[in-house]
Amino acid sequence: MQTAELVALSVFAGVYAFIISEKLHRTVAAMVGASVILLLNIVPWEKVSEYLDLDTILLLAGMMVVVNIARESGLFEYIAIKTAKFSKGNPMKVLLLFSVVTAVVSAFLDNVTTVLLLTPMLIYITRQMDVSPVPFLLSEVFASNIGGTATLIGDPPNIMIGSAADLSFNDFIINMTPIAFLDLFITVGIIYLAFRNVISTHRERSEAIKMSIMSLNEEDAIKDRALFRKSVIVILSVVVGFFLHDSLGIKPAVIALTGASVLLLWSGASPEYALEKVEWATLFFFGGLFIIVGALVETGFIDQVSAWMMNYIHSETQAILMISWFSAFASAIIDNIPFTATMIPLIKAMGSSINTYPLWWALSLGACLGGNGTAIGASANVVVIGMAYREGVKITFVDFLKVGFVIMLVTVGVGSGIIWLRYVGL
Amino acid sequence: MVSVNRLILRKFKNIAGSRYEEILNSYRDFFLTEEEMVIPRFKSILIAIDRYSSNVPEGVFKLIEHYSPERVLVTYVVDENTCRLIRETLGEEDADKFREKETALAQESLYRVRVALKALDVGWEEEVVFADKTTHVETLMGKYDVLIIGKQYGLESAKTHHISPLVFRIVQHVAKPVVLY
Repeated sequence: MQTAELVALSVFAGVYAFIISEKLHRTVAAMVGASVILLLNIVPWEKVSEYLDLDTILLLAGMMVVVNIARESGLFEYIAIKTAKFSKGNPMKVLLLFSVVTAVVSAFLDNVTTVLLLTPMLIYITRQMDVSPVPFLLSEVFASNIGGTATLIGDPPNIMIGSAADLSFNDFIINMTPIAFLDLFITVGIIYLAFRNVISTHRERSEAIKMSIMSLNEEDAIKDRALFRKSVIVILSVVVGFFLHDSLGIKPAVIALTGASVLLLWSGASPEYALEKVEWATLFFFGGLFIIVGALVETGFIDQVSAWMMNYIHSETQAILMISWFSAFASAIIDNIPFTATMIPLIKAMGSSINTYPLWWALSLGACLGGNGTAIGASANVVVIGMAYREGVKITFVDFLKVGFVIMLVTVGVGSGIIWLRYVGL
Repeated sequence: MVSVNRLILRKFKNIAGSRYEEILNSYRDFFLTEEEMVIPRFKSILIAIDRYSSNVPEGVFKLIEHYSPERVLVTYVVDENTCRLIRETLGEEDADKFREKETALAQESLYRVRVALKALDVGWEEEVVFADKTTHVETLMGKYDVLIIGKQYGLESAKTHHISPLVFRIVQHVAKPVVLY
């Protein structure tokens, strides 16, 4: 192993260790690692643009601006109250409706924002219903990760995969949405079976519960009616744009940035404020990661691992199963963003000896749904557990693991089975 | 396991940052407080209707059923000033005709209310009175916990207002909860 390769691998392993332990903020870890790589010229400066995936970074940035401006209108609180009122205080309806709404919103917006905005409402309703919020919160988390799997923009790994493999929004709709749809209802079913004894209210209180929930006024959530309308129009237009981007020959990042610009222009929102709210830490984390993984590609390490893996993979079936399950188990333990960033060049390198098209879906499936396996598997899990903890509801690592791991096994099993049937068949 | 749970909270702080507090604050504006969550107990309800507000919606009866009051009085009020004006200008005979027609209309309106209340299993009474529409309700409300009244109560036939000025006055003078339909 050459020195450059050894350094690149050490930086990669060091950054991973910091990300897992969270001893250092993941952005700081990635930035320090990238700086070392660039300082030592392992990735030459002129090649940085090659490794820095601007499609991913700009798509994320554009969507962040849209979401941040829309948030100011009270749109998401409005959705949460509407969902609560539709449920009419019926615990089963709350479980199902919140799971479906979380999945749908997560399919188009980032999972963390979705759960941050829906969790307070869910905790409030469960308090009104006098039931344990745990099954409802778990279902929300799983739905968020499953919903994120459904589309190109639902979860960062999908954005990265779409950009790297040049897969369109509609490719994801065709390949991943049916899997996500099926997995969502299986998940709600499992949650119901596991917690059916606690998902019920006292019959004599049901009318009072219904009244207190129905007394919530969704109109109160709207802080700025004009901005609310504009946000809805722009978000819907952006979604339509994503559906059409391939036939129009426009990159998804351009659609997101156009949506952000139009909303900024139309709403008159302060660009300083809107851009200040962009999660720069996340974007720099991506930037740093791309350089660190780029160093592994540049030094030839990825090609070596790929060649080694190909010694053991003799068919597409093996590749699909290995990538989906390995991704799922790995993503249950480590952040799926650095994991996907590492797997992308690996799958690309495998392209010379195997059809990689189904492997991208296997990676998407494992990286997104693997997050359901443990409490630290995805950011949405951590956020919901943290919010619940602040509200006095304790969901321990083991509590999560008992349900999450089963959900992960079942959903990845169903998903990889569908991918296998579609691309390999009997 | 303690360290894993600590790791989760550390990650939460890094990921959610200040966004969590911001979102929670915006929700606090419309979440009910602990005090507001307690449903008040009402023992007696007065329903005031007249020829302009006799169509009591179904939702009102659901509300009455929920509170399970001990007594409900449905008072149908005919404006006595109109009656007096007819007597003074057209004579006693026309005034009597007016009273008869108004009483018949009152009975017809009360019948619909009666049918709905019978289904609720609550104790109730009804009356038809010729009185001043505001003072009658305001006086009765000394003995009742909640007033249920239509926005059209006391409105003239031309219906130039969305809410009757009489209702505005009653709402301002009655120091008890009012349900407007």
